[in-house]
Amino acid sequence: MSTTQMPLLPPDLVAESARTWDEADRRGPAVPEELVPPVSASLAERAAAMRRRHLLREQRAAEFVADTMNATKGLPIARPRQVVRFVGGLLGERRLWVVAVVLGNALAAVAGLLVPWWLGRLVDSTVADVEAGRTSAALATADSVALLVAGIVVLQALLTFGAKASAAVLGQGILASAREYVVRAILRLPLSRVESASSGDLVTRVTRDVGTMSESVRWALPQVIVAGTSVVATLAAMIANSLVLALPSLVLLAVSLVQVRRYMRRAPNGYLTEGGTYSRINTHLTETVEGARTVEALGVGAQRLRIGDDDIEVSAQAERYGMTLRNLLFLVMDLAFSLPRVLVLLVGAIGYTQGWASLGEITTAILYTEALWGPFDMLVHTADQVQVGVASTTRLLGIATVPPDRDEGTDEPAGARLVGSDLRYAYRPGHDVLHGIDLTLEPGERLAIVGPSGSGKSTLGRLLAGIHGPRTGAVTVGGVELTRLPLDQLRTEVALVTQEHHVFIGSVRDNIVLAREGSTDAEVESALRAVDAWHWVERLPEGLDSRIGSGAQDLTPGQAQQVALARLILADPHTIVLDEATSLIDPRTARHLEGSMNALLSERTVVAIAHRLHTAHDADRIAVVIDGRVAELGSHDELVALDGEYAALWRAWTT
Amino acid sequence: MQDFPPEIRAYSARDAAAPDTRSPRHFLWWVVRLEGTLALVGVGIALVWMLPQVLGPWLVGHAIDDGIVAGDSGATLQWVLALLVVTVLGGLSGTVYHTVIVREWLVALYGTTKLVTRKTLQLGHVLPRRTPTGEVLSVAGSDSDQFGGFMEIVTRAFSELIAFLCVAAIVISISPTMGLLVLLSAPLLVLVGSPLLRPMQRWQGIERSRNSELTSMATDIVGGLRILRGIGGEDTFGGNYARQSQRVRQSGVSAGAWQAAVEGVGVLLSGGFVVALMWVGVREVVQARLSVGELVSVLGYGLFLIQPMRTFVEFAQKMTRSVVAARKAIAVLEQRPPWIEPVEAATLPVGAPITDDASGLVVRPGRLTMVVTGVPDDSAALADRLGRYLPEEQDAQVSLELPEEMKGRGARRERARRLIARAEQAVRDEERARRAWGVRVGDVDLAAVPLDEVRSRILVSDTKPHVFAGTLRSAIDPHRRLSREGAEAVLWAASAEDVFDAVPGGWAGELDERGRGLSGGQRQRLVLARALAADPEVLVLVEPTSAVDAHTEARIAERLGSAREGRTTVVMTASPLLLHHADEVVLLQDGLVTAHGTHADLLAGNAAYRSVVVRGEEAATVDRPEQDASPPEAHRTMTRPAPQEVL
Repeated sequence: MSTTQMPLLPPDLVAESARTWDEADRRGPAVPEELVPPVSASLAERAAAMRRRHLLREQRAAEFVADTMNATKGLPIARPRQVVRFVGGLLGERRLWVVAVVLGNALAAVAGLLVPWWLGRLVDSTVADVEAGRTSAALATADSVALLVAGIVVLQALLTFGAKASAAVLGQGILASAREYVVRAILRLPLSRVESASSGDLVTRVTRDVGTMSESVRWALPQVIVAGTSVVATLAAMIANSLVLALPSLVLLAVSLVQVRRYMRRAPNGYLTEGGTYSRINTHLTETVEGARTVEALGVGAQRLRIGDDDIEVSAQAERYGMTLRNLLFLVMDLAFSLPRVLVLLVGAIGYTQGWASLGEITTAILYTEALWGPFDMLVHTADQVQVGVASTTRLLGIATVPPDRDEGTDEPAGARLVGSDLRYAYRPGHDVLHGIDLTLEPGERLAIVGPSGSGKSTLGRLLAGIHGPRTGAVTVGGVELTRLPLDQLRTEVALVTQEHHVFIGSVRDNIVLAREGSTDAEVESALRAVDAWHWVERLPEGLDSRIGSGAQDLTPGQAQQVALARLILADPHTIVLDEATSLIDPRTARHLEGSMNALLSERTVVAIAHRLHTAHDADRIAVVIDGRVAELGSHDELVALDGEYAALWRAWTT
Repeated sequence: MQDFPPEIRAYSARDAAAPDTRSPRHFLWWVVRLEGTLALVGVGIALVWMLPQVLGPWLVGHAIDDGIVAGDSGATLQWVLALLVVTVLGGLSGTVYHTVIVREWLVALYGTTKLVTRKTLQLGHVLPRRTPTGEVLSVAGSDSDQFGGFMEIVTRAFSELIAFLCVAAIVISISPTMGLLVLLSAPLLVLVGSPLLRPMQRWQGIERSRNSELTSMATDIVGGLRILRGIGGEDTFGGNYARQSQRVRQSGVSAGAWQAAVEGVGVLLSGGFVVALMWVGVREVVQARLSVGELVSVLGYGLFLIQPMRTFVEFAQKMTRSVVAARKAIAVLEQRPPWIEPVEAATLPVGAPITDDASGLVVRPGRLTMVVTGVPDDSAALADRLGRYLPEEQDAQVSLELPEEMKGRGARRERARRLIARAEQAVRDEERARRAWGVRVGDVDLAAVPLDEVRSRILVSDTKPHVFAGTLRSAIDPHRRLSREGAEAVLWAASAEDVFDAVPGGWAGELDERGRGLSGGQRQRLVLARALAADPEVLVLVEPTSAVDAHTEARIAERLGSAREGRTTVVMTASPLLLHHADEVVLLQDGLVTAHGTHADLLAGNAAYRSVVVRGEEAATVDRPEQDASPPEAHRTMTRPAPQEVL
């Protein structure tokens, strides 16, 4: 490209550009070469390479989890201990249900274990009766045992139903309490935190982490209780049947526990990594679909394709790690649970010939070894789910650990005069973006703030609205510091209006009344009338009760903005800070909204952070903010006469 | 053998191996074929894995009869050894089976995701125009998983069918009476139990849909958190969330209760089955028609046979769901680009004027032309025409997802209606794409040139440009065409130095998706820098500075001309700061060019232009009289008609 004008970039930018240019280009393959299996190698080499790959994947999974779970940016994360205490508290509130689940399931397990026991006894008595030629006795025994076992089965079925249904009540109850707690914590987040942080982290937490927590709480937590009691009961029944015949299962179970523990320590990282790679695939694909036109215009299809395929390669590696972990577990568990049958048969045969084991005991023991497998397998698989759930829950409970940003006092403001003195503010320590600003706003005054991007004008707006407390100095209203006011009161003093105009999922009434909870329908209606919106609200199918927001009745941008303005009318603050409030609305809508806006702004003090010069022109005073200082302050005519920064801009605009 | 992730070549330049989208069944069969021999290997290894269950009870029975009861320790050892071999074989094959199934699952899953990516890239802007993003993403995100599950259940059901037949043969050979009892009652039990599945699934469905509503409410609260914390409403929306959360809980409890009922009935039926087997078995033993070992064998098989039956029920359910998923996948994948390659591909002449027939606009080459219009939609439509993009259309997007409450015949009718609407839409697009486009470079219509050439020569930066996640360098220079100096130059021209500062790590710094974390103005300048970096022959910018403050806009206005020196540039704007620097300004009214000249000329001589660019008296934004201090003429020039900000 030709440049007749030489770019004049600041020297530190050029230095940073030189330093990072090549670095930005350095990108290796999506997965390191070590993870690609060798094409030709001996069997031993292959096995060694496979092991190396597994260890490398393990390391990558650990790094991924450390990266996402302990992110330094974003909101804090609670400790696992807090999760245990939290869930313990929720369980404690539902002690009766916990007892019902444990007891119901233990009894169901016992009933279930009685069936093989009676089968064994029946085999023994039948064999004895047949050998002794007591045919009718054998048949009579069969009848009564069958009746008994049928009764046990009915009992077991009822107990199973009761236990599982209680588990659903318990799990769903805990889950509902936990997610409502999380949302309450979100709704208590400090104002300054909400205004400055990007919402991405929070969105991930309320979607993915709540999803993962749901799986564990709703399903895994009750299932762990259920499977745990079954395993204990089965082992007890095995020993009661015959200690010697229980030995093969006990020994092999103990041996397999080594591998199970190994697996349990690693599995959560594996699952979290898998989950993470899928959200990555989804995030990038979402971008490709939503930005399809941009992709087409810029011709970056090949890049998007590569990103998508790379994500899948990375995901495939995470899946391979999980698969190998499970394979190592299955190898041990499959043998640990199927070999006892062979061993019981062998030991039983010896016992039978030596006379210390009956055929019935052998039959029962074999049936018990089979019965142990299901619950134990379930226990292992739900336990790792619970671990993943705990990890997600630490992130959810972390939201509640954000400390409050203001220390509320009880002083009542005397009057509506807003005074800022010696205002300094730094997002990063040592890097002030405002350098000692003094500003006084008389009630009813209109002040426009203009200045180049990055000059600190939005920060100044936030300080004046009491969102952030300044590093030095203070913003006071009627003599009281804004950050010492309770939030409910602050909202009636000063409000910040930004480009965002969010329409909530809910009724029209909900969307307006939020500004002053408890307002009557008449008050809501008059607010809507004031912004000239009543006529279309009235025409909605259910009036104020009509559901709006994403997924329901769609509002035009103009209507959405009217809703936002009606909220402010209802909130009724005496001072309003407009931060580029309408700059994203298309011009036609903006024109249509002027009446609504005027209704809001009349009789109030207004601070307008302005993009457009006509806004400044119409204000009582204009503050030109440059590099965190008020460079010029005065009316339009004064500033034009001053012939400084503002005057230069004004000339560029008008000629 | 096929491994994951599979290679997918469909929907690319050589449109090879595209999936069969004629019907859901064709598509599912295509998924099976994608697995290749892996699918057969899966069935084979599953059979080995089931060997202990198929042969185990038979071997145990023989060990008891021939060995233990007969007191023949040699025979015992022999049968135990046989059992050992079968058990170890089965145990070891478990990991192989697991590996194969994971492979099959992921081949289907990743393969589907890749198809969606390729289809999206093939269709470009046409896809989101017709299909809601959510529907496209759910094919990649959840239907793909369904296809993985489909492969798993097909493999398992097929091998269990074979296992079932083998067991049937063995049981009948042991005892025809018991055999018949087992073979007839096992399917009966499953049939008796399955009616309960329907209410369970219904409640699970209700729980799912209520839960997804709950998740949207949570996302909504987070999205509007600034308002909720800034203005208020925590109680209202916290309360709404809690109420919905309780509705989810209630449906979850109902679903859980039905599930408990299903499991309870399962216990009852399989327990009852065992009792019946036992009762009949003892009678057979007493009448010496069955040995003790055989009784144990049959009891073992009785327990095993429940398994294949459950699998068959699961198979039927998953088949239904897979067909639904396949239908959704087809709705995305069957769409075809409306464009056809011209028979005799012409090429766009270099340095020729561009003419738009619809508006009468003529853009002179190498100049900076700005288009002013009172109606933003008109300038957006003009930009679309200049770049050969299908026009924005009301209701172009047809969702195939029906509302939850729509059921039965009404749902089928509505679905059919929407399918027809989609098909008609596709036909309309094709007609529009295939006739002469009405925009000519020199005398070559854009339709006479391959679309790729149009895209590479004319770049339209529209009103809703997307900023992709990635390094800052890749965001500005995705094709890596620029030198560092070149990149710094576009950064400067777009006055985007503060964007560079805002991203920690400079060029290597990572942008979040959609450029989240940047302000609206920063995003807009990043997009402008990207467009300048692409350095196309013809650049069309739509409202490139609408979110930028006056200071910065003035700087951009000064630098834009020199950055595009000698290249053709069209800017849709109404900002005097920009218009001031245009080589030529065109006024568009009701979609037609009514005047052109320089900004100063038009301002002086065209009342219509003045009323568009200059804010008229009737649009006063303040509820107080205009100040008399400033001269009236100057005042009108200084202010704008369509104020984007009001005080």
